[in-house]
Amino acid sequence: MLRRFRLEEPQSVAETSELLGRFGDSAKIYAGGTELLLAMKEGLVQYERLINVKRLGLNQISAENGTVKIGALCTHYELELSPAIQQRLPSLLKLEHNVANVRVRQAGTIGGNLCFAEPHADPGTLLMALGAKMVSETGSAKREIAAEDFFIDAYETSLTAEEVLTEIRVPAPGANARSAYLKFGYLERPSVGVALAFNLNGASVSDVRIAVGCAGPAPKRVAEAEALLDGKSKDEATRNLAQAGTVAGRAAEAISDLHGAQDYKEHIVGVLLKRAFQAAVS
Amino acid sequence: MQFQKEVEILAPREKVWQFIWDVDRFIACVPGCKDAKTVEEGKRYSATMTEKVGPFKVEFPTTIEILEREELTRIKAQASGADNKIGSRMKIDLDVHLRESDNKTILSFTAGVDVLGKLAALGHGIIKRKADQVLDEFAQAVKKKLEGEA
Amino acid sequence: MATALSRHSDGQTIPVSFTLNGRLQEIDVEPHELLLDVVRDRLGLTGAKRSCDVQVCGACTLLVDGRPVSACTTLAFEVRGRSVLTIEGLADNGTLHPLQQAFIEHGGFQCGFCTPGMLLASKALLDENPNPSEEELKHFMHGNLCRCTGYKKIIESIMAAARKMRAK
Repeated sequence: MLRRFRLEEPQSVAETSELLGRFGDSAKIYAGGTELLLAMKEGLVQYERLINVKRLGLNQISAENGTVKIGALCTHYELELSPAIQQRLPSLLKLEHNVANVRVRQAGTIGGNLCFAEPHADPGTLLMALGAKMVSETGSAKREIAAEDFFIDAYETSLTAEEVLTEIRVPAPGANARSAYLKFGYLERPSVGVALAFNLNGASVSDVRIAVGCAGPAPKRVAEAEALLDGKSKDEATRNLAQAGTVAGRAAEAISDLHGAQDYKEHIVGVLLKRAFQAAVS
Repeated sequence: MQFQKEVEILAPREKVWQFIWDVDRFIACVPGCKDAKTVEEGKRYSATMTEKVGPFKVEFPTTIEILEREELTRIKAQASGADNKIGSRMKIDLDVHLRESDNKTILSFTAGVDVLGKLAALGHGIIKRKADQVLDEFAQAVKKKLEGEA
Repeated sequence: MATALSRHSDGQTIPVSFTLNGRLQEIDVEPHELLLDVVRDRLGLTGAKRSCDVQVCGACTLLVDGRPVSACTTLAFEVRGRSVLTIEGLADNGTLHPLQQAFIEHGGFQCGFCTPGMLLASKALLDENPNPSEEELKHFMHGNLCRCTGYKKIIESIMAAARKMRAK
């Protein structure tokens, strides 16, 4: 059983923001509830008010002018069904198809997933590698936050107390773009996630972006590993994969826990990076 | 969870020792710690420890017992508290050492931290990281406070 | 189970009008009520089970607008204006659904605890994809756990039902 709370159902982002400002810590945004309700059931958090944001119409997906725009309140399932995602962002499609289980995909939203910032989550890592930007709004202001600046720490994003995440903007990859997201885990949530994106021009690898997630407190890009692949020929990049994997593993800030020891997770990062590269170039 | 911290303070040992027993200022160095009180001088103290990991907040009314004391050298203490709202308990076994080196004081401590109850659901890794952060900040704050007044 | 009365909710209730197993239902719920508790305790439909209570096992699976949800982690008011199917509504006036028939014929259950969830989830699968490959079946059913059967008979049952349903 949950403790009682009052349900607020704002009709606009401005109203939502106003409610957040007025009630502060005693209120929380409620979307799919797949993370929030669990924490509430556990008694780890308590709120006097839940603010239902599913009536704000923020579940549209569109592709315009080279950008795929994903409404924050799109469920993982809606992303799976979206022609724009299917056609333009196949690596994201595959990721969404494999989030948790079919029931979580039905109720959970991508925005909720990103904002709760559970360390053991998938979308943030790939969105970082794809160069995504998060759009957040209050009643009077709107800003874009690069994915690498969005995640601060475990369960912590750079959103202010009154901001609402409304949209995720992903640059539509060009014809030479390759990307892959691989994850590993044997518990309910993933233990290690690695995302890789780059351009492959002939046999030349460029614009490399590598992100690691799940192993540490928050997803992060690994510039040092990117440098080992960027601007190299496919063969040279392949030869550097092992070292890039080691670098990325260390950068993951892996925590020893039930998901595995720190060195184990670091090792898996390397394995996934290698496989992701091979999957992406094939 | 075991932690070991060491910090070099540019201040004489006596000053550092005195600072530790100046309960209000010392406790103020622990991030999120407030309302420090002396219950029994030299033996028992109380404070409220608050911490936050994202949306998860804890508030532990804490009792600190001094178990052993070696003048200017060592303090052994135990802090324990419970947050009934979140159904969790916390216990810290603290062993603090002071030693002189050149004109500096080395303040080192080992901390055995146990978190029991619902909070443990957050995951050992997250709690460990947070505890590590808190102890780091604490050591740095002590250093800064003492050096700032040198 | 009583919950602490909070002055902040001030007795707020939400009218929920929804279709339950083909019939119109109108109830008032408090915001904090979970769908599983409403279905089991207030509506007396105990086929859905509270098992893990953290949406990973599937024993509480219900279909809302034909799609599987974890009733243990769904707030009851969310079904307003929607259609809900529980296991009690799967058979049609006493005639078993092909899936139920197949589970019997192929031994798709032992203790039966996971079975309501299995049947509803597999119904959602076949409604969406009448001819799933075994891979597709396993992927869809990944979140429905069984401790008894080892899954082989469940897969056989679903595939058999799918064949029967396609033949119609």
